[in-house]
Amino acid sequence: MQPASGQAFVGRGFKYGMVWPAVLVILLIGLFPIVYTAIVSFQNIDMFGEDTSFQGGVHYARLMGDARFWQSVLHTMIFLVVALPLELVLGLLLALLFLDRLPGKQIFVALLILPVVTSPIIAGSTWRLLFDNRYGPINQILSWLTGEPATVLWTVNPVYVYPAILLAEVWQWTPFMFLLLLAGLSNVDQSLNEAAELDGAGFWKTFWYVTLPIIKPVILIACLIRALDLFRLFDVVWALTRGGPGTMTETVSIYAYVLAFKQFETSYAAALAVVIIVLLSLVVMAALRRVEFAR
Amino acid sequence: MRQSPRTLALRYLLVALALVFFLFPIYWLVAISLKTPDEIFASPPIWVPGQIQFQNYAVLFKDGDVWTIWNSLVVATLSTAVAMLLGTMCAYSMARFRTGGDHFAMWVISNRMIPPIVIVFPVFLLYVKLGWVDTRLGLIVLYTAFNLPYVIWMMRGYIQDVPIELEESALVDGCSRLQTFRLIVLPVIRGGLFATAVFTFVFAWNEFVFALVLTRSNATTFPVQVTHYFGGQSNFWAKIAAMSTLGTIPIFIAVAMLQKFLVRGVSMGAVKG
Amino acid sequence: MNCRTILATAVSATAILASLPALAQSAAERAVEAAKQYAGTEITIVWEAGLQALDPLNFSGPKWKELTGIDVKVIEVPTAEMFTKILQEHRAGTGAYDALNVIPSWMADLARAGALEPLDPYVDKYGYRDELQTIAPVYRDNQMLVGDTIYGFPDDGDVFVFYYRTDVLGDPEIQAAFKEAKGYDLPVPPTDWQQFYDVSCFITEHTGGKPYGAGLFRDPPYAQQMFQERFRVAGGKFFDPETMQATVNSEAGVGVFQSMLEENKCMPPGVETWGFVENLAAFLQGDTAMTISWPPYGRWAAGYGLDQEAFSWVPKSQIAGKVGYALTPGGHPQLASGFSLAVSSDSNNKEAAYLFIQWLNSEEVSIDRVQLPYALRDPFRDSHFTSEEYKSRWPEAPQYLEALQAGAVSGILDLSLLQTDRYEEALRQGISRLWAGEDPQAILDDVAAQWDAITERVGVDAQREAYLDWSSKPNAYPN
Repeated sequence: MQPASGQAFVGRGFKYGMVWPAVLVILLIGLFPIVYTAIVSFQNIDMFGEDTSFQGGVHYARLMGDARFWQSVLHTMIFLVVALPLELVLGLLLALLFLDRLPGKQIFVALLILPVVTSPIIAGSTWRLLFDNRYGPINQILSWLTGEPATVLWTVNPVYVYPAILLAEVWQWTPFMFLLLLAGLSNVDQSLNEAAELDGAGFWKTFWYVTLPIIKPVILIACLIRALDLFRLFDVVWALTRGGPGTMTETVSIYAYVLAFKQFETSYAAALAVVIIVLLSLVVMAALRRVEFAR
Repeated sequence: MRQSPRTLALRYLLVALALVFFLFPIYWLVAISLKTPDEIFASPPIWVPGQIQFQNYAVLFKDGDVWTIWNSLVVATLSTAVAMLLGTMCAYSMARFRTGGDHFAMWVISNRMIPPIVIVFPVFLLYVKLGWVDTRLGLIVLYTAFNLPYVIWMMRGYIQDVPIELEESALVDGCSRLQTFRLIVLPVIRGGLFATAVFTFVFAWNEFVFALVLTRSNATTFPVQVTHYFGGQSNFWAKIAAMSTLGTIPIFIAVAMLQKFLVRGVSMGAVKG
Repeated sequence: MNCRTILATAVSATAILASLPALAQSAAERAVEAAKQYAGTEITIVWEAGLQALDPLNFSGPKWKELTGIDVKVIEVPTAEMFTKILQEHRAGTGAYDALNVIPSWMADLARAGALEPLDPYVDKYGYRDELQTIAPVYRDNQMLVGDTIYGFPDDGDVFVFYYRTDVLGDPEIQAAFKEAKGYDLPVPPTDWQQFYDVSCFITEHTGGKPYGAGLFRDPPYAQQMFQERFRVAGGKFFDPETMQATVNSEAGVGVFQSMLEENKCMPPGVETWGFVENLAAFLQGDTAMTISWPPYGRWAAGYGLDQEAFSWVPKSQIAGKVGYALTPGGHPQLASGFSLAVSSDSNNKEAAYLFIQWLNSEEVSIDRVQLPYALRDPFRDSHFTSEEYKSRWPEAPQYLEALQAGAVSGILDLSLLQTDRYEEALRQGISRLWAGEDPQAILDDVAAQWDAITERVGVDAQREAYLDWSSKPNAYPN
């Protein structure tokens, strides 16, 4: 943390005047929905009725016993713990690949981050097309490789749905990791590495003991951002499987969507929202503290 | 560091492989947008459109669907500009005076954690009261609010990196706080500013859930328009592909232009020297 | 047009009609006349995005504006979002929508939620009751009312139609080989599911998959509707009306699941993912000899309207002139989806909105709308099926219209309860599990358990009432 030595130079008016506009906008949009959601979660509003009497914690109790909810948490976690390390490692490897002088680097980097800037809903639909058995190239490539017609039903077969979704997810977000890590790595003072290598440490050893600790904060921040996004995972899954087969790939966001916008279980969905927000806040607070300390 | 030609060749090979993997889906999308219906529905699929034709794009212009890209452009640009302005101001105050302390910083970032899907309906109710449903203003305010935590968080990091001595000497020379901010701090953090702005813009450009619920027809943005092409009794793959391509071009240009800031800028905020 | 006969009945009919000054007018003309006082206003109408919306955008909207001076603003919404959007705007009381397109199976939900305006007073005021009677009975009697109240005008004769390649099924060589193999004459077309299975598998085997015997919707949202049809044709009932226990896991249900699995083996690989477009493309390209879908397939297979720009997404038909039309096996095709026109209860311009939908739905205007080559509205009035103009649209059009009319007599309804979508969702998930290889009985037991839980949640008594209202409709179950 920087020392707050600027304090002496400034009046309170300036200090808070700089903050208020942003806070007001955040509050305008953020406050009402949260308060509203919290209140509604104790009422009994569904598709047909606006029973606004206080119901206590019935929705919360029901949620605790809702197997579909816990499964959706589990599925979300699976995506999280598989996709995040994959994206991190692939992103890191890519970043290392680009670290040294490489003519044409700028163009390559610009091209590589294209998946990140594609709208997730469009990325998901594109992958659905790629996976299509009849019109998509993936099974075609497979059949060239295996020498026989390949009919892999990526979005139907329980064995392949997770790999399919993960592939699309990793495709879209690895470049994000790559960009952040490349940035972090470019900032590492090369003389440190050279000194280590002069001392006889090999590339990987140098990387592990010298470079990695330095870029740890970047890694943590990148992981935090991605973990938050993965926790909300929606578009890619929706486009590929709609949570199926059955509810096998249903994430928390998809379940929340179904409850709130298909079933209009307004109060129940609100309870779920509150639980998610509280859980996320706790986890993220803890994570953030670690990041802050690591800085 | 020096590298042998063989190493360089190997690296190019790996880069080429990565490019193929990350660009192929996008190539496929663009290829579809140039195909005729018979090519789109060919099985096994055709990899290269037989004759390049822009019919699929022409339809979008003729029917006025491209206006949704204009909506996206207005909404994303203005919300990015406002979020960057307000966010950087706020971040400066937080970085330099520790305004609000750690708790305030935590509160700010916690606003970014809320999954849109769980608050979009209350936002809709709020917007009905404000008369902001289906207006670009509504989306601009919303995206500004949603991006502010990210901007504040990132910019705070960049500003903390600026040596405070620079500012102090300017202040001693008689500059006001605002002048110091404008003339000393902003130029130094330019890279970070651009990098953050790009990601802010990308978010606003691609956002779907809010736009779906909060627009009807006037303020429809391009990701929502694309979903119009998925019907119960029709699937306009040609239009989906053409519209998606059109919608990705502006953002690609922005990224390509600001690419060097992206790499440098991202690094400044995240890494403490 | 049998405009004159309708007028005759209209004149002799109701007192209300007689009291109207504009006596010698059709319902469409009456609507236009009454609507002129709202000239200069604007009404919004929710319409399915895409092809459907080309009707109000290119045809009916501009025409209405010209006749009445009322602007029509079309809000395009993808089907999957329509219910959500309508209910959401109603919840917030925005009044943003004046007129609506609703899928009939939603009407119970939307009416109960208070989102729809009861139309009876308007129908009487503007003398539309007689013309409503000339809507084909199956739509009129099933897709117009909730309880005894009119909430929507059936406006789209959606029904599953069985399409088959006359050149393949009629091929003497195939017929001879079939008879030899199966011991009976190849039925053209198959009339029950066993025959369908025999023919489908035989053709696939005999031709080595060129073409495949059949391809069907298997993507769960579509397959779910096909299951509903076949389940009832096989004698299944959705609920025990006494206890409201779900009986979807009965022998009939399991049998249909098993048949569907078996049939897949003779269909093109990957058929499990087929929705509207995949199935269409395969049939139009001549890769499948039989299929089941909505009426537009028939028009497009014949090449009708395919020169239109709006069809740039449809592959060219290779099979024009080679398509036969029939009832689906079992003879009771699902009246799948469809649309009714309704008025939003929150509208600030209900009269104008109502007049617009009366005009759209009327004999005079609807006959043009169902023939728009690019639109997806299908014939739904008796006069549409017999229209000489329509019959002349392509060589096989008379048979096509006959098949639609037959379907409109014996067709069966989508299940419509309170919170219908939750029941359908359970079915959709069940079907996706079926393709994933789970046991049919186990899946359906699960579906039944989920249905029971939903019923419990909605309220058993309320749901029983809704179910009885639905099941008492003439075409809820095959008779």
